[in-house]
Amino acid sequence: MTEMSVESVDPDDVDAADILGSAIERREDPALLTGDAEYTDDIQLPQMTHMAVKRSQHAHATIEGIDTSAAEAMDDVVAVYTAEDIDVPGNLPTGWLLDTLNQVDHPILADDRVRYQGDAIAVVIAEERYAAHDAVDAIDVDCERLEAVTSPREALDTAPDLHDDAPGNTAFEWEIGDAEKTSAAFESASHTASIDLENQLIIPNAMEPRAAVADYNPSTEELEVAMTTQNPHLHRLLMSGVIDHPEHKLQIRAPDVGGGFGSKIHHYADEALAAWTAKQVERPVKWVATRTETYLTDAQGRGHETHGEIAMDDDGTIVGLKVETEANLGAYLSTFAPAVPTYLYGTLLSGQYDIPAIHCEVTGAFTNVPPVDAYRGAGRPEASYVVERLIHLAAKKMEMDPAEFRRQNFVPDDAFPYETQVAVAYDSGEYEKTLDRALEMLDYEDFRERQREAREEGRYLGVGFSAYIEACGLAPSELAGQLGAQAGLWESSLVRFQPSGTVTAYCGTSGHGQGHDTTYAQIVANELGIDYEDVDVVEGDTDEIPQGMGTYGSRSAAVGGSALVKSSQKVVEKARSIAAHQLEASEADIDFENGEFHVTGAPDRSMHITEVAEQAYLAHNMPDETEPGLEATSFYDPDNFVFPFGMHAAIVEIDPDTGEIEFERYVAVDDVGNQINPKIVEGQIHGGVAQGIGQALYEAAEYDENGQLLTGSMQDYAVPKAEHIPEMETDSTVTPSPHNPLGVKGVGEAGTIAAPQAVVNAVVDALEPFGVDHIDMPLKDEKVWRAIHENGGEN
Amino acid sequence: MEFEGTFTIEEVSTEEVWLALSDPFLIKQCLPGCQFLTRVEDPDDVDFEALGEQEPDEDPPTLPEAAPEDISDRAFEEGGHYAALMQIGVGSVKPTFRTVVTIDEREFPAMNASGEGSATDSSFEMSSGMTLVETDGGVDIEWEAEADVFGKIAQMGQRVISPVANRVVSRFFGSVEDRLTEVAKEDDSEGLRDRVRNLL
Repeated sequence: MTEMSVESVDPDDVDAADILGSAIERREDPALLTGDAEYTDDIQLPQMTHMAVKRSQHAHATIEGIDTSAAEAMDDVVAVYTAEDIDVPGNLPTGWLLDTLNQVDHPILADDRVRYQGDAIAVVIAEERYAAHDAVDAIDVDCERLEAVTSPREALDTAPDLHDDAPGNTAFEWEIGDAEKTSAAFESASHTASIDLENQLIIPNAMEPRAAVADYNPSTEELEVAMTTQNPHLHRLLMSGVIDHPEHKLQIRAPDVGGGFGSKIHHYADEALAAWTAKQVERPVKWVATRTETYLTDAQGRGHETHGEIAMDDDGTIVGLKVETEANLGAYLSTFAPAVPTYLYGTLLSGQYDIPAIHCEVTGAFTNVPPVDAYRGAGRPEASYVVERLIHLAAKKMEMDPAEFRRQNFVPDDAFPYETQVAVAYDSGEYEKTLDRALEMLDYEDFRERQREAREEGRYLGVGFSAYIEACGLAPSELAGQLGAQAGLWESSLVRFQPSGTVTAYCGTSGHGQGHDTTYAQIVANELGIDYEDVDVVEGDTDEIPQGMGTYGSRSAAVGGSALVKSSQKVVEKARSIAAHQLEASEADIDFENGEFHVTGAPDRSMHITEVAEQAYLAHNMPDETEPGLEATSFYDPDNFVFPFGMHAAIVEIDPDTGEIEFERYVAVDDVGNQINPKIVEGQIHGGVAQGIGQALYEAAEYDENGQLLTGSMQDYAVPKAEHIPEMETDSTVTPSPHNPLGVKGVGEAGTIAAPQAVVNAVVDALEPFGVDHIDMPLKDEKVWRAIHENGGEN
Repeated sequence: MEFEGTFTIEEVSTEEVWLALSDPFLIKQCLPGCQFLTRVEDPDDVDFEALGEQEPDEDPPTLPEAAPEDISDRAFEEGGHYAALMQIGVGSVKPTFRTVVTIDEREFPAMNASGEGSATDSSFEMSSGMTLVETDGGVDIEWEAEADVFGKIAQMGQRVISPVANRVVSRFFGSVEDRLTEVAKEDDSEGLRDRVRNLL
C-alpha cells in the first residue's frame, strides 16, 4: 500500500491511556490464520446426521407431485421430509412492515408452488453428507413450469402474479418527501438533468457458506443451534416462532463466521429446517450450503431500476431532486427486505447537499429471483449512486467543474444538525474538508491539465467523484418502530470483573470479521483503566449474552461500543462507591483516573479498580445496601443515526479500442468520526472499496428469460481478485458524532457505498469526448467499447 | 440458447439422407449416449423404466443392410411421439435425460421436432428443425435448435453447453455419414435412390 497506509502496532508497546485510538494488531487473527478458529462446519458431534435440501430447478412452477420413495429406500438415509410433514408454523416472517406492504407466505418447504430456482422442496437427513446429497438426487419432483420474470419493471407491468396476496406483483408502494413542493421546484428551475439507471443485482459471496448444526435434547427440550449468523438473538426470536420452540429453550450460537455482508442477517429456511429436523430425528443435524446453494439462495443485494431528475437555478444551486424506483424484492419478503429500498434508501437522497425539495417514490416488486435484502450498504449505496450520478450530469449541464459544483451545494458546516427534506437529521459534517483533502491528494488542477493534453494525443483519462453520505446505527428504537421495524434497535452489553481483576465484556452484536474482539477490548480497557490484555470479549451466544440485536448497518461501534461504555461506566460507579467506603471518604471526593480511585487532594489514599474488584467479590467490607460482585448490564438506545461521510475519487484511463478501464489513482478520504483503531478502519475501507469496485466493473447476478441463474459459480460471476483492485490511497478527517459517548460513526459499509459512482463517474468523464453520459454497471470492457462505438467512435 | 449448423455429406443424395434420418433405430445407434428410442402413445405418461426393460436384445437391420421399404414402414411420423433415454456428459456431470420428442412436421426434405427432457437436477425444452439441401457434390444438412435449459446444466451456461451440443451433433451426423458411405460403397446408389424416391 501507499505511504499513507496505517502502521499496526503491538498492544504491548501502547500505553494503557492511549489504547483507544491505537492501530493495534487484531487479536483474532492468529486463530483465523492458523486454523484454530472454529467455523460451523468444523463442529463434529456424536451421532451427527447430515441434511441436504432438494431445490427447485425451475424459477417458477407448480408442484404436481413429489416422490420420495427412492430416496427413503437408500442406504444411510434416516428421513425425508416435504411440506406436508411440517407440523409447525414453518413460515418465515418479515421483520419490517410498511403501511402498503402486501405480506405473502414464505414456507420453509414449498408446498404447491416454487418461485425461484433454489426454492426448497424437500430435505433428506442421512448418516453422512454425500449420502444426503445422493438421496436428494433420487427425489422425483413433478413440476409444471410457469412463466418467470426477473426484472421488477416487467414484473409490475406484464408478468403473471407470483402470489395471490400481491396483485400485479406489487409488494408495496412507498414515498418520501414533498411531491408538490418538488414539482414546483422543477417548474421554476432554470436547468434540469435526468438519468435512467439500473443498480444491478449482486450476489454477496461471503467466503464461508451458510451452515447450521442443531442438537436437541428430548429430555430437557433444549435445542442448541450453532450457525452462521450476524445476529444470534434475532435468529433465536424468529426461529422460535418458525419452528414453534420456546425461546428460553433455544440457544443460538455463532462460532467463527467467515463474512456475511448482510447475507447472514436474514432468517432462511435451511437453518430452520436443520433445527426442526434435529427435533424430529432426535440426533444432531448438520447442514452446510454448497457454493452453488449460496449462489442460488443467499439473499441478493441492490436490484433497482430508477429514473432520477435534478433541477438547478441559474447559478447552479440545486433546487430539487426527484426519484422513481422499482425495487426487486425477489420471490418472497426476506427478513428486512421492505426497509432496504425504502427507509434505508429514500432517506439518503439528499446526499451531502442542501436540497430544498426532494420527492421519491418506490414500488417493490416480487420476481422469480431469490429474496433480495440487505447487502453491504443496503439502500444507501443505491441512494448515493443515484445522487452522485445526477450531480455529475448536473455539473456537466451547468458547464461547471464537478468538484466546485459539489462545493457550492454542500450542506455548510454551520448548518448541523441538518434536517433534510427526507426525514433524517444529519448529526455532524464538514464536507468541504474531505473534498479539499481529496483534491489535494489528486493534484486536481494538474490532472485536468494532463487530461487535456492526453485527449490531444488520443488518450482518454477521466476523474470521478463520490461525495457520499451514509447512515449507520439505525436508531432510536421508537423511531424505527414508527417506520415499521418489528424489533428494537438498541444494543445490550455486560461488563464483568473477575475477582482477580480481569474482565469479560459481553456484547449483543456479533462480529464476523470486523475485529470486535480487538476494538471492544480497547473501549473497555480505556473506560476501566485496565490492561488491554486483561479484557476478553464475548459475542455471538444467546446463552451467554443478555440480549442483542447483532451486527449490520455499520452499527457495532456506534451502538454496541456505546453499550459497552455505558456498562463500563456503571461498573466504575459501583467500584467508586466501594472504594469510597474502603478509603473512608465520600463518593463525591473520589477521583478516577487510569484505573485508580483516589481521594481528591490525597493521591496516596488510593485503590486500583482491580483491587476494588477483589474486594467486591470478597464482600468482607462493603458499603451498606451494596451487593457483592462487580459487573453491570446496559441497554443503549441511541438518540439518532450517525452519519459518516467522505469523498472518494478515481482516475481512470480508457482504451477506446478495447473498452478496457485502467485505474491510475483511487483516493479515499473518509470521515467516520473518532476512530477506535485506525488500522481496522483502513481495512474496512479497503474491503468496502474492493466490493464497490466489484459492483462497478465486474459483478452482476444475471438470469436468462426463464429465471435461470447464468452466473452461478465463481467461474461465471466475477468477484474481483487482487489484480483487479487499484492501489488505494486513503486518508481521513475526524468529525465526531455529538450524540454517542465514543464520538464514533461507522465504517463497515463506507467503501462499498462510495466506490461505484466514483468509478462510473470517472469512466463517463473519460468518455465525454464520445458523448457518453451513462453506462450501466458492471462496466465490462465490451459495454464500454459499445458505448464509445455506438456514439460514432470518434470524438 | 440457440444452436445451428450445416453438416455436409459428400457423394450421397438427399433421398438417402432422408431415409437414414427417418429411421428411429439408426438414430438411436448414431446418437451418442442414447439408450433407447421408441414410439409412445401418450407423451405425458411415459414409463421409462418399463420401456428400458422392454428393449429387444437386438435391433432390426439398419442402413446399410436394411431394405428401404422396411425403414419406411417404421419411419418417424408427423404427430408421432417418441421416448428416449439419453445420457450426456456436461462438464463434471453426466445426467441421464428422460426425453420425449414430438415430430411436429415432416415433409421431404424438411423435418421439425420439439420435446423436453428431464434428469435429476436438470431439464431442457427444445424445438429443432432440419432441412436437406442438395449440392453439387452431395447434401447439406442445415439444422437449427433452440433450447431452454434448467437446473444444474443451466448454471454451466452456454460456455459449457455449446461445445457439448456441438460434440453430440457432429458425432451424430458423423455416424450417419459413415453409414451412408457404406451404402454408397455396397450398393448401386442410383438404385437405392430410386427406391427411396418411389417411397417418398
